Amino acid sequence: MTAAIEPAYVLWPLAFFGFDLSVTSAVIVLWLAVAIIFLFGYLASRRPSLVPDELQNLLEIVYEFWESQVTEVLGKRTVVWLPFIIGLFLLIVVSNILGMLPGLYPLTANINVTVALAVIVFITYHVAGVREQGLVNYLKALVPSGMPLAILPLMLVIELMSHLARPFSLAIRLFANITAGHLIVFTLLSMIVVYKNIWLAGFPLLGRVAVGMFEVFVAFLQAYVFAYLAALYIGLAVSEE
Amino acid sequence: MLAHLSAGIAIGLAGLGATLGIAMIGSKSVESMARQPEATPNIRITMLIAVAFVESIALYALVIAFMLLAK
Repeated sequence: MTAAIEPAYVLWPLAFFGFDLSVTSAVIVLWLAVAIIFLFGYLASRRPSLVPDELQNLLEIVYEFWESQVTEVLGKRTVVWLPFIIGLFLLIVVSNILGMLPGLYPLTANINVTVALAVIVFITYHVAGVREQGLVNYLKALVPSGMPLAILPLMLVIELMSHLARPFSLAIRLFANITAGHLIVFTLLSMIVVYKNIWLAGFPLLGRVAVGMFEVFVAFLQAYVFAYLAALYIGLAVSEE
Repeated sequence: MLAHLSAGIAIGLAGLGATLGIAMIGSKSVESMARQPEATPNIRITMLIAVAFVESIALYALVIAFMLLAK
């Protein structure tokens, strides 16, 4: 398993007050992803015109799709949260696709990256809920109103568990999907080395092409699910119960 | 030996459950698409999201299986 995804290697060791801030191959790919998203956004919106060129068209497709999706769950607060949701979506899509290129570190197949993204979503929706409703009302909304006092502690524990399960499932879902894709590719290609038969080598390669196309689909689907769930959690937190 | 057996059982049972789940999602969404063809785009997106959720549960078991094998 460890051979399928080689660990990130350190390019520039850096320690900051005891924290390990080394620039690794994963960090380089993350910077690359951010640079690609920035360039895409800058070039697509540099000269907005009524008849859009290719890049502007692409950006408009992404924007209008997410606007319609987020409006369903956030209503009039869509404008506030749309940049965050589209940012999450683009970052995950670009790092999924970059991870498929040979030689580049698959960011989202690293549990640290997905947990960091999930914790960002976790903190964001709590802050959004507190800002929208105030701390007291937000804590009250954790349990349904009109609850008998006897089962209140039980409900509180169940609700807290479900809140803690959210970032966990977000992180594990993205991590497991991308890791499984890379593992399947690794297993298919290692068949060539295992069987050592030139006449059979074509079949793993054909399988790798099919898996590769499916992985592109999975890359978009998982990014969509991640960003949509983030929007849904924010929507649940800011809505008045 | 026991780790290999438990890894196989973990991914096998998870595959069984995920298969049943995806089969139910697929059959029900085809049914509702046939009943209401005009709602097909909405149903398709919802179906894909549901399939992604079910699939990720099977992948949790895959991660567990590899963790058992890696020991």
